[in-house]
Amino acid sequence: MNCTPQELMAIFLSRELKDGEQLQVGVALPVPEAAVRLAHIMHGPNMELIFLGTRMNVHQLESLPLPAFGWDRRVVRWAESYSDRGHRFDQVKDWNKRVFFIGGIQVDPMGNTNLIGIGENHKRLKFRGPGSVGTPTLSTHVGRYYIVLNQHSARTLVEKCDFISSVGWSSGGADARKKLGIPGGGPKYCVTPLCVMDFTEEEKTMRLKSLHPGVTCEEVELNTGFSLVIPNSVPTTTPPTEEELDVLRTRVDKTGILRGT
Amino acid sequence: METERSKKILSEKEVIAKISDGMTLAFGEPAPMGFIRQIIRNKIRDLTVIASGMSLDMLIAGGCVKKVISYYAGGGFGVAVAPSFRRACESGELDVWECEEGILTTGLEAAGKALPYLPWRGGVGTSLPKINKDLKLIKDPIEGQVLLAVPAIKPDMAFLHAAESDAYGNVQHYEGPGWLDLFLYRAAKATIVQVEKIVSNEDVRANPWATTIAGADGIVRMPYGAHPFYSRGYYVQDTSFLRSYIDVAKDQGEQLEDFLTRYFFSPISHEEYLEEVGIKRLLSLYEY
Repeated sequence: MNCTPQELMAIFLSRELKDGEQLQVGVALPVPEAAVRLAHIMHGPNMELIFLGTRMNVHQLESLPLPAFGWDRRVVRWAESYSDRGHRFDQVKDWNKRVFFIGGIQVDPMGNTNLIGIGENHKRLKFRGPGSVGTPTLSTHVGRYYIVLNQHSARTLVEKCDFISSVGWSSGGADARKKLGIPGGGPKYCVTPLCVMDFTEEEKTMRLKSLHPGVTCEEVELNTGFSLVIPNSVPTTTPPTEEELDVLRTRVDKTGILRGT
Repeated sequence: METERSKKILSEKEVIAKISDGMTLAFGEPAPMGFIRQIIRNKIRDLTVIASGMSLDMLIAGGCVKKVISYYAGGGFGVAVAPSFRRACESGELDVWECEEGILTTGLEAAGKALPYLPWRGGVGTSLPKINKDLKLIKDPIEGQVLLAVPAIKPDMAFLHAAESDAYGNVQHYEGPGWLDLFLYRAAKATIVQVEKIVSNEDVRANPWATTIAGADGIVRMPYGAHPFYSRGYYVQDTSFLRSYIDVAKDQGEQLEDFLTRYFFSPISHEEYLEEVGIKRLLSLYEY
């Protein structure tokens, strides 16, 4: 493959995003950050990018560099509006138009995710996670979201999360979210450095959708902590076009964050 | 008859005198580091805090925190979780009131509106109501939906950082307040704001729409008061300073003690802290 897995993940996600959509990315998720910028340049002149409490359309800019650490007015200087004047959550009724990306220290077969910690006793965790940020509310309301993992391992993809900070398909079934009264569309795919996974239509459990070039089914199964649904034939994730890779490297990820440099 | 409008300007010492062990204190965004340094230096103990990220981590490292109303404690610079927060959670010495941004703002809004609780949906179906027993699943009386009842979160005091205020506590953030500031102000029993600059009342009246906090209870003039964090319109985040904090905090050892002594315990005032940081470093933090 002529690119890194992180670059392929960003390019895969960018193709998923449609013009006119609102795309919200939180902190510390370089793959989705790159994906929304790439989509905005390639095919999304009417996309709205929501970063760090700002809403922007920067399609006309020559390049859309990844932000520096933290909240800096140089990062958000293109904002057309702020959602932070004390009303960040006052319009969740319209979040069905919004697309979101979520990470996790644990993910289960139903796409429930955990940012809280690992261990049996919340008062004395074996590993304390960063906390839920705003993901419970976002995953409840957004039209759809993508689970994006920096590594594909059996420690992360587990049979059961020790804690659930965001509900995916709960205990399973296409009506699981409806039964809980949760309006958003739920997780669509789980994207990792090895593959893309979707959810079966009826049970809503994770299924292998495509393997990144050079990756085998066995490798994915070995590194997944639950039994993944594997169809008879699994396609390869469509590799990047020259144009996609060129735009990603010269106009989005100029410093090579996704290339590990 | 001679009467005069009261000014709200306080000294650092007058602010510390208002704080006692065991209070619930809320910290805005960017973190009001001048106040946080004084709280750590004066060894205030057993606080319940609403704070996040690395400023929360420093309060924990300073031994001030008993309980945290917590939605995010990320680290940065190669560390996924704020190191002192992580150690204190894993050793069981820190009580975590587990929540998230929507739940937090809902609880703060309930306090501001003088209600016992407000409902929220984000968190239904998650572990949050199981690990935070104050969050109750309820059936709403209008449509019968299952929602979370979030109790009012009532800080004794909110501490904020902003660009400017006049002497009467009319605060104007530059380019808008931090995301949580106004929620904290509306919920807290009192709000004290450190500002880069105190301006005239005429300056405030020239643009009343820019006033974000209408009548803070106390104002402290503290240029570079958010260092090592940013202050919009004044300076950017001091990334290398934060990186050095993370580096020493990772090990939770002697180096962290040295760091705390140098920047938190030794300087007795904000001016002395700035002297320790040094003028060259401060002046290098320009925005453009």
